[in-house]
Amino acid sequence: MSAGALEGLRIVELGEMVSAPYCAKLFADFGADVVKVEPLGGDVARRWGPFPGDEPDPEKSGLHLFLNTSKRSVTLDLESQAGRDLFRKLIAGADALIENHPVLRMREWGFTYDALARINPGLVMISITPFGQDGPYSEWNGYDLNAYHLSGASSRYCGRPGESPLEHGAFSADFFGAAAAASWGLAAIYGRDNAGGGQHVDVSCAEAIAAAFVGGQNIGAYAQSGKFDKRTGVGMSLGAPATILPCKDGHVWILCLETAQWHGLAKTMGDPEWMQLDIFQDMFSRAQNADAMYPLIEMWTMEHGKMEIMERCQANGVPVSAVFTVGEAAEHPHLKERGYIVEQQHPAAGAIRNLGAPFKLPASPGGPQTPAPLLGQHTDEVLRELGLSSEEILQFRASRTIG
Amino acid sequence: MAKNLPLKGIRVANFGWVWAGPVTGQTLAFLGAEVFKIESKARVDLTRTLPPFGDGIPGPDRSLSNHACWAGNGSVTLNLKKPEAQQLARDLVAKCDVVVENFGPGVMEQLGCGYEVLKAVKPDIVMFSMPAAGLYGPLKGVRTYGLSLTSLTGLDSLTGYSDGPPVPVENAYSDPYNGILGAFPIIAALRHRDRTGEGQHIDYSQQEAIMHMVGPAFMDYAMNGRNAAPKGNRHPLGAAAPHGVFPCKGDDRWISIAVLTDEEWSALRNAMGNPAWAAANEYASAAGRVAAATAIHTELARWTAQHDDRELAGKLQQAGVAAAPVLNVGDLLNDPHYKARGTYIELTHPLGFVETIYGAYVKTSRTEVAVTPGPVMGRDNDHVFKTLLGMSPERYDELVAAQIIY
Repeated sequence: MSAGALEGLRIVELGEMVSAPYCAKLFADFGADVVKVEPLGGDVARRWGPFPGDEPDPEKSGLHLFLNTSKRSVTLDLESQAGRDLFRKLIAGADALIENHPVLRMREWGFTYDALARINPGLVMISITPFGQDGPYSEWNGYDLNAYHLSGASSRYCGRPGESPLEHGAFSADFFGAAAAASWGLAAIYGRDNAGGGQHVDVSCAEAIAAAFVGGQNIGAYAQSGKFDKRTGVGMSLGAPATILPCKDGHVWILCLETAQWHGLAKTMGDPEWMQLDIFQDMFSRAQNADAMYPLIEMWTMEHGKMEIMERCQANGVPVSAVFTVGEAAEHPHLKERGYIVEQQHPAAGAIRNLGAPFKLPASPGGPQTPAPLLGQHTDEVLRELGLSSEEILQFRASRTIG
Repeated sequence: MAKNLPLKGIRVANFGWVWAGPVTGQTLAFLGAEVFKIESKARVDLTRTLPPFGDGIPGPDRSLSNHACWAGNGSVTLNLKKPEAQQLARDLVAKCDVVVENFGPGVMEQLGCGYEVLKAVKPDIVMFSMPAAGLYGPLKGVRTYGLSLTSLTGLDSLTGYSDGPPVPVENAYSDPYNGILGAFPIIAALRHRDRTGEGQHIDYSQQEAIMHMVGPAFMDYAMNGRNAAPKGNRHPLGAAAPHGVFPCKGDDRWISIAVLTDEEWSALRNAMGNPAWAAANEYASAAGRVAAATAIHTELARWTAQHDDRELAGKLQQAGVAAAPVLNVGDLLNDPHYKARGTYIELTHPLGFVETIYGAYVKTSRTEVAVTPGPVMGRDNDHVFKTLLGMSPERYDELVAAQIIY
């Protein structure tokens, strides 16, 4: 194992499902020692799958295997006083806690920032929740879906008018919140001396999207004019072509805004006469006449395959891309050459493929170091590091404080 | 005022343009770094030309969306087509800790500011490049916009109504996402520099970062050879139901409801007044509910349609159900939650108009972030050239006249 950029950082993860585990994975893949604390039954992600052959097995859940690389797993029953005491011992020696439990549950456990900071004043506590630690919705029950649709993103940007607004079909809000938490959280750790100590980093997934995605492009306009836009189901409404069209074997993203791009598209399509009409000579005018234009482009795309369309358009300087299936993305030679798809040997799941680090730090490389841990694989090891004797560990196991 | 900022003392030269690169600069700036965006009147950034403008008066220093997305960045104007400007950019980099850029591979070299050159003027520089598909590989020159980049990850193939065609997301989720996440490897590299004295050139692939969102679906492909299809607002792994967005009273009003546990299902049934359809035995387990999701969603929609979205969300939350209104842009500014958290802030731009942008979208208990709007072009020229680089006023005026500082 090479020394990653975050080697020496000690992180406790009290996470389940997606957001906190993904954030902690970013730290773990770059060398931080991440101890994932799981209930005796394991992180819920272990039950969500997907599973090889659709046979449920908590050690073979794809979600778990993706999100928990390079970590150690400890099981603790936090419903017991003894379990919570052990958790506090872990916190005493940690640089950071990354967690995504409901505010009320953390309070019940006695794991508020103030309480934990009394044990460890340097602690950076990174909380990632749908709605955040304060504000009227902070005690609401919520998941990724609720956070995403509270952000304005779906109403504004995805779905057909009159039909329901859409999320991406992925845990978009959890990932966005986790990304914000990783950057802000690492800054709070790195700059602890500048900041004057540890602190609580409070991420609301809904708020991060409502601000940096939706707010950035819309809120100034709304505040000034009282007017706002909604999804069209088509694509960009200001410029065209900017939409997804069907083709012979799937779909393509047709984007062609600048004049040179439009000429490149015309060349690719064999210079049809209609493309020289005045109403199609700039992106704004094309957008106003999109209803007439899209069927004409579609007649052409339906005669060709998506990879061919992408290749020929790109060669002519047009930013058209194929809508890759997951498999087409996974098998693309580009990602192979970049070493993005990694092979791992997991004790229960066997040989598995996983996704690698999305950024390369040549002087301090990262990426999945070890496969996701078995449930409680490192419980004894970690408890011994806390100074517990073999006898004490046996007793905790007998009382079901640990698994 | 700003207080206890963790990245105080870090200086950044930001060659970023449009959206993602400027947001990386913003993230570092919100966290305390001093960030100078390098741009030029010789090629005004597209986002400076986007309406609406402050008080409705067009101008490159008045685009409201630009001011929000670039907030925190400073601005230095250099016409990098000219060799003297490239030299000044290198002089600035020599006084920086970090360089940020989001051009295609090779552009920084053409501007005389490739990594090898910058490393020669500042050996421990952390250079951060975030091209669409990384710095090398067969697709390194791929042309995309942020809104279509996602098509190269498989994500767009997952977005749409159940088993229908892909429906486009009409703006670039990937830009702010990558802009914000980009700060993570930069800070990691700063830590490595502090410990070893070694700088480095970070190759950040926007494609690969977004593809992590596809991770769960990738695992299904890797394990079972299956390609996922759009499934509306259903649970991405089909692990729970009901899970969706349902109509409410009024025009285009909706509520999101996610039932992940059996307890939440009981709570929902109670809140609905225990209708007969929900009493079916097979609905008692998650697997049974997932199998009958279409029927459950139809019944649930019939019920939600009789209610106001906010009232119903409040009622369901009282019962313990994860439910929330689906907000539109017009709802955001006055939503009590976002108001309480100070998500949006109103401030007066130095040019005199009032504008609303987003503030620190992450709350930090010890650090107080001060947000300034996106900069007027060349806002920091005086400070950077005369103070930081020690240029004489005469020389400065010459370079301005020659449209090198421009």
